[in-house]
Amino acid sequence: MVLPYVLAGVVAWWRRPDSRFGPLMVIAGFATFLSGLQWSNQALPYTIGFVFDLVPAVIFLHVFLAFPSGRLERRPERWLVGVGYLVAVGLQLVKLLLGAGGPDNLAAVVTETSAANTIEDFQLITLSAVCLAGIVLLFTGRRGSARALRRSVALLVDSFALGLVALAVLLLAGAFAWPSFVTIQRIAFGVIGLAPVAFLIGLLNARLARSSVADLLVQLHADPPPAELPALFARALRDPSVELAYWLPEFEAWADLSGLPVELPEDGSARASTLIERDGVCLAALIHDPSLNEERELLDAVSAAAGIALENGRLQADLRARLEELRGSRQRVLEAGQEERKRLERNLHDGAQQRLVALSLQLRMLEQRLGDDPESRAQIDQARQEIAASLEELRDIAHGLHPAVVTGYGLAVALESLVARAPLPVQLDVGLDERVDEPVEVAAYYVVSESLANIGKHARATKASVAIARNDGQLVVEIVDDGVGGADTEAGSGLRGLADRVEALDGRLRVWTPRGGGTRVRAELPCE
Amino acid sequence: MRVAIAEDSVLLREGLARLLQDAEIEVVGRSGDTDDLLLKVRSYEPDVAIVDIRLPPTHTDEGLRAALQIRADHPNVAVLVLSQYVEVGLALKLLSESAEGVGYLLKDRISDVDDFLESLRRVADGGSAVDPKIVSALIARQRDDDPLATLTPREREVLELMASGSSNQGIADRLVITLRAAEKYVSSIFGKLGLPSTGSESRRVLAVLTFLRS
Repeated sequence: MVLPYVLAGVVAWWRRPDSRFGPLMVIAGFATFLSGLQWSNQALPYTIGFVFDLVPAVIFLHVFLAFPSGRLERRPERWLVGVGYLVAVGLQLVKLLLGAGGPDNLAAVVTETSAANTIEDFQLITLSAVCLAGIVLLFTGRRGSARALRRSVALLVDSFALGLVALAVLLLAGAFAWPSFVTIQRIAFGVIGLAPVAFLIGLLNARLARSSVADLLVQLHADPPPAELPALFARALRDPSVELAYWLPEFEAWADLSGLPVELPEDGSARASTLIERDGVCLAALIHDPSLNEERELLDAVSAAAGIALENGRLQADLRARLEELRGSRQRVLEAGQEERKRLERNLHDGAQQRLVALSLQLRMLEQRLGDDPESRAQIDQARQEIAASLEELRDIAHGLHPAVVTGYGLAVALESLVARAPLPVQLDVGLDERVDEPVEVAAYYVVSESLANIGKHARATKASVAIARNDGQLVVEIVDDGVGGADTEAGSGLRGLADRVEALDGRLRVWTPRGGGTRVRAELPCE
Repeated sequence: MRVAIAEDSVLLREGLARLLQDAEIEVVGRSGDTDDLLLKVRSYEPDVAIVDIRLPPTHTDEGLRAALQIRADHPNVAVLVLSQYVEVGLALKLLSESAEGVGYLLKDRISDVDDFLESLRRVADGGSAVDPKIVSALIARQRDDDPLATLTPREREVLELMASGSSNQGIADRLVITLRAAEKYVSSIFGKLGLPSTGSESRRVLAVLTFLRS
């Protein structure tokens, strides 16, 4: 009895210096040793042994209740163990004074054997009751606590708590002088003597827990949604009560996933917390059962894994935000460019083009007044032709800057002109009753105009078709030709520019261009 | 003839007014925007309203909308729409209801004063004027089994003039042929293209444009 407890206690003390459980086991071992002194033939050791006679029963209970932290966490436990010690040691001293235990009793003052016997019966029955109450506490305490999940180990330890039942029966057997006392004693001591092995396994279980950290890493690799993280940590720590609190540096406060403030538990309270840090920066905290503090290695491993996951999550969120920002700025750049082109087109239209038309008109009127000087008329005629050529060029420039007709009259009208100018027969099918957002219309227009230009330049097609349809909140533009296919979709090509334009509106441009199989360009543009 | 002008460029508006006055055409209204134009059309009931297709405030479709409204509200007022660009789609949109008393010309045409005035008079008389550029774009349009290929070069010229709104007499004058010859060309074209013959010349314009468009 002595040896298993002392040895297990020393090992536990060595492996878990923070836990009081090791020392407690060593004390239990020594207490058992001291109680064994009553078998001595000499008076002093006998007396000491007599004092400690019933202590092992209480200290075993103490050990079981204090597993695994070495502390009695709950008030009823402390009371029960206190009463146990009082009855086992206090009343034992009274018995000594009353002269119990025969002639070797050095502390006897009077010899009141019958009173001592009564006290002893009371002691045995009380301690038996204490043991039974301890079992009740043990099992009610297990439920709902962090330890519940560690079922296999808890079961092992708890099964040894049956030793306490045996002890209780033994005490009763002593009190009522049952004949089977010796058998019961063997069973009780056997069970209790083996218990340290179970304690040791329970305490050193952290090694086994490592594999749960490996599982956690695998699960974190699958990038679970943030809401599922606490459950994963709970599983790895085998503590279903685990919560996750995020550190908000800008508010210098803790919050849960939904943003509600969270207070970290203080030291010594019913909960404990472990900070999750990454590169010296606090990211979050695990709030868990204090018993986990005994398993520093497990906590460290889980919080390191959590740190990686949270950092990844933060980086991803950051990346997403930047992507969103980039998408927004691409759209803004495109829109600003479009606005600027629109403005230039307007300026040309209202300015230079109008002036040239007016100038041409003035020249014409001047010509009429000039009379019949053929040389002057020829010169004026020449000037008017120059103006007409300039107007033609300006028109092309202005139209290239911005297809004003799209803005003014929509896609159907604009595409009609485009198709009329196309260098090959084009079947046009516009299934669009109403206008859509201008940027979408302009993008669709460019997709068609660039595609038709490409077909004219490269496809060697005999005919093409253009279809516009609205489908599921999208404007779908499709241009198909029967040409040679194999269109260049690489950077620098017109198709790349179109893709930029379409993607800036959150749309998608796809091109099928098998060699010898024609080309199909399909743009999908989101529109309400 | 009495004319109202809506053109936001003062330079052009005044130049145009002067040109018309020189041709002894009365300019009863000069507007910079459509509201003013509609007011003047209501007040003076001119024979023709000349409308710039891009007018304030948004410079998008105000001019065309005003033109269509005038045709709907004042059947006696013809409209001649002027545009800086040749937009086939726009011309077809303008003429889609009826080509009667409707014209669509490029602004450049103004300085070819004689042609311009002729177009203006034609529109005022309930005829049509379609810019030659629009017509040539439509005729040049690529087609499968192009039916226009069966036309002789002369017939093509006649088709272009017909689509621009020219009357048979106009065609005869332009091509320096007799009226009878012009009529023969026209009926030959209608036969080759499989078009049903139509009564008025403006309906003929619409039929030809619709044919060319498809």
